[in-house]
Amino acid sequence: MKTTKPENAPLEPTTDSLRPMTEIQIQQTREFVRGLNSVSQTYWDMVTVGDELSRDLHITPELVILYADSVEDYNPWYEGWLMNTWNMEGSSPFGGAIVPPLLVSHFVLSVQFDHTKPFAIGSIHTFHDSEIIAPIPVGATVRIHTKAVDKFIRRERRYVRHEVTVTDVATGKPYFKELRDIMSL
Amino acid sequence: MKQSSFGAPNVQGLITAETPVGFELIGVKKKAAIQLMGSRLWGRFNPNHWDPVYAAETGLKAPIQTGEMSSAYLAEMCVNYFGRNFFCNARVVCKYVASTFANEVITTHGVVREKTPKGNGFRFKVEIWADNEHKEMKTVGWVEVDVGV
Repeated sequence: MKTTKPENAPLEPTTDSLRPMTEIQIQQTREFVRGLNSVSQTYWDMVTVGDELSRDLHITPELVILYADSVEDYNPWYEGWLMNTWNMEGSSPFGGAIVPPLLVSHFVLSVQFDHTKPFAIGSIHTFHDSEIIAPIPVGATVRIHTKAVDKFIRRERRYVRHEVTVTDVATGKPYFKELRDIMSL
Repeated sequence: MKQSSFGAPNVQGLITAETPVGFELIGVKKKAAIQLMGSRLWGRFNPNHWDPVYAAETGLKAPIQTGEMSSAYLAEMCVNYFGRNFFCNARVVCKYVASTFANEVITTHGVVREKTPKGNGFRFKVEIWADNEHKEMKTVGWVEVDVGV
């Protein structure tokens, strides 16, 4: 039996419903999403309580600009790179350019599971309790250490909790601590 | 600081030891632009953040921002009001209570709720939140920052 939609039914979302695209862009996007779907594993299954992971991140001036532009924060304290000047020391109340206060919190995600395995799409960050201990200079290399401390189910939703520390690789200076929850599929 | 930092926040911040409990911060306002939500910065491995088709298949009315974006907006407001103090011994707690959908306009807010004497100054506690143009709450939390300590 053929069904028809009411005239005022909402339109089905399309790949280009929020930004203009040509057919080839749409095709590439759909292929990319199919690829993600075919290999992913749930976050809940990738993490065991007690898991500890550590990775070093070099916070380059360009990485800071990428972050700051993505959240439209144009504070000049974060600029260790500018068009025309390119790499520069920058200027902040602490001397040279510094890293936005929650930048490292974002990169913790890459240290909460085995990043060499396909990431479980559909997980959602739900909570963080962060301590900003000291400013991070742009150009620093930091060690992000995570420990899975809990897995719990609340209102039929699955959560994984991690404790996080961020320290300077060269000096051991503590920069940042965090407790954070991710809701898994 | 060099004079070239035009447009930078006040170095010491706008909140001083004299700022009273109840003081309201003026926040920042941002649009959840799909182009920013789909930045490689956020990984692009979760299409719920940038693909309308995938989002619909998982029951969402539109792609949703990663929570890190609203935390960054709240942090920007706090840097405006606390200046350098926000980078030393500060605490930020955020809970993402509802999804931020593409094209929503998000505004951050803050109210000073407590100030506790500490050293030569105070440790301020500020309630913070982010809502959309319909005043629907998206992120709630609080920050603690030392001022004049």
